[in-house]
Amino acid sequence: MDVFLLKITAVIYLLATGSFILYLVLPKDSLSRLSPLLLLSGFLVHTSALGIHFFYTGYPAVAQFREAFSFYGWLMVGLYLLVQLKYRLTVLGCFIAPLAFLISLAAFAFGTGSGEIPPQLKTYWLPLHVSLAFLGNAFFALAFGVSLIYLLQEYQLKNKKITVLHKRVPSLETLDRLNYIFLVWGFPLMTSGILTGSLWAQVQWGHYWSWEPRQISSTITWLLYGALLHGRITAGWRGKRAALWTIVGFAVLLSYFLLGEAVFQGRHGGRFE
Amino acid sequence: MDKEVIIVGLNHRTAPVEVRERAAFASASLKDSLGRLLSLPAVKEGVILSTCNRVEVVAAAGDRQAALQEIEGFLTAQESLSGSGGLADHLYIYSGDAAVRHLFRVAASLDSMVVGEPQILGQLKDYYLAAQEAGAVGTILHRLFHRSFSVAKRVRTETGIASRAVSVSSVAVDLARRIFDLLEDKTVMLIGAGEIGELVVRHLKRQGLTNLMVTNRTFGRAVELAAEFQGSPIRFEDYPRYLKLADVVIGCTGSPQFLLRPETVAEVLRERRQQAVFFIDLGVPRNFDPRIHEIDNVYLYDIDDLEAVAQENLKGREGEAHKGEEIVEEEVAGFLRWLDSLDQVPTIVALRQRFEEIRKRELEKSLGTALKRLSEKERQALEDMTSAIINKILHVPISHLKITPEDKDEILYIEALKRLFDLEEK
Repeated sequence: MDVFLLKITAVIYLLATGSFILYLVLPKDSLSRLSPLLLLSGFLVHTSALGIHFFYTGYPAVAQFREAFSFYGWLMVGLYLLVQLKYRLTVLGCFIAPLAFLISLAAFAFGTGSGEIPPQLKTYWLPLHVSLAFLGNAFFALAFGVSLIYLLQEYQLKNKKITVLHKRVPSLETLDRLNYIFLVWGFPLMTSGILTGSLWAQVQWGHYWSWEPRQISSTITWLLYGALLHGRITAGWRGKRAALWTIVGFAVLLSYFLLGEAVFQGRHGGRFE
Repeated sequence: MDKEVIIVGLNHRTAPVEVRERAAFASASLKDSLGRLLSLPAVKEGVILSTCNRVEVVAAAGDRQAALQEIEGFLTAQESLSGSGGLADHLYIYSGDAAVRHLFRVAASLDSMVVGEPQILGQLKDYYLAAQEAGAVGTILHRLFHRSFSVAKRVRTETGIASRAVSVSSVAVDLARRIFDLLEDKTVMLIGAGEIGELVVRHLKRQGLTNLMVTNRTFGRAVELAAEFQGSPIRFEDYPRYLKLADVVIGCTGSPQFLLRPETVAEVLRERRQQAVFFIDLGVPRNFDPRIHEIDNVYLYDIDDLEAVAQENLKGREGEAHKGEEIVEEEVAGFLRWLDSLDQVPTIVALRQRFEEIRKRELEKSLGTALKRLSEKERQALEDMTSAIINKILHVPISHLKITPEDKDEILYIEALKRLFDLEEK
């Protein structure tokens, strides 16, 4: 049942993607309302799929990589919808909707895992760790989105090519401020995600650190974002530099997601010894 | 015949801002320039038009070919005063109806990069008055320019061009809003007191701008402007110290050198902790070194860039512009009819006709009443006599007209005759 709902979710995310792309191309204001609503309905179906899973298994759908990936997509869309409510950043949806669709697809394609997790791991460390880490990552996805849009806007202003599409894009100042806000939220969440992961590993296996690819890539990303946040606060880094930095950090994160799990099958890939 | 209208010039479409700057006429020496223009043998009347967007010489001349060459030489010499050659590639030449049409289109702001912008008409009037004061305007250009002013008025009132005018300044404001979120908490510095700079500030004020600094070489002018916009005046030698406070810097001076260099701006950016700055260069020649644009978080748009962006907005107004073009066509035809009527032959014919009409009318009146009983022979004699009187009266003026084709005053005589005897076509 929940898998069926997840398929419907993917289809709605695809529809939302189409709607957001049309919003970019067509000068229709109705699309700016319709597109987030489509995404919202996808999110609701997605929520019910996760809810049904919880209801039947009594455990959040985060144990397998497939589930965790889908859960990440759900957090990201939810976060975007909140941001949309506050900032009316419809153009960011043009980036989030296709990403949500791809994540849903990848969740089906990648997620084989090794079936049930050992019962001794069914503690609340797992959902806590996964939620914190993924929520941090979801903020970084949004930061990545606004950074890409920033670069697009910046490119047009620098090259003095002002297109119609340009009118849909918020000001550089807004985009840069959002980059900062997402970073300020994302970084502590990611830090707590790493900390809970380490603590859990200590409790479960007796060591904080095991040189897993996910640990390494997370640490690289954490250092990158930490440096960026530090630079922003103390040295006045902003604009293009901050945007590029954010994109590099997220690329490291994403490349692990898409390649790392398939190549190195550690605990994070659902292989718990 | 010295009634060919000629225009030689360049504008934003044919020449980039660097070339326009080199070709521009300084307002201080405009009178001398007009004097030199008028001293060209083939040029009878002349007006020089020199704005940020166009440098044009409008002339009335006898020998078209000779005049074109002379004016081209005149403009090229102007440019060589300030540097390298290559001006000729950017020049356009109009004569006859094409020249009339061009001037009407310029006046009606149909030829502006930002169609419908209102400044050009005022500038045209100023340059026309300057030429008139310098004694460079005669019958033809007088008529031509006055027609162009009324064409502009017609186009403005009969089409929607002006009301929908998207001027350079609103493009500048639009760009500012793409860089900055709110203008309320931003600071703008206006350097120089040019007209276009004021216009941009006015637009920014309308968008909520409150913090404004104004500086000008003459401090009094800065104080005036600052009072007008509720800003703070700053002494010209002090403004670099205040640069770090400004989010938008508008340059609108006639300074021959760059006011700001990239090194200075990079330093200011460091002081501002890399907060973005938008430079708007409305000066001719340019006030800001174009390399400033290459600095991160700095955006520099000069007047050409703004106009190029404005052209995007132009598309929606093509319908109104089309109506404007139709008005121009009508008016060109009207002016050409008037110009043709300045020929000797039709004037002489019309003059003779006029006298002949009077003679016939008066003769018939008399023959119908007091001289009713005259014989056929006597009537014939009377007819011959009155005809002879008219011929004798007209002989001297007409022969004067005929022997003075190269005389500058020919058109004056014709125009005078037309007025004195009411020969104007209705």
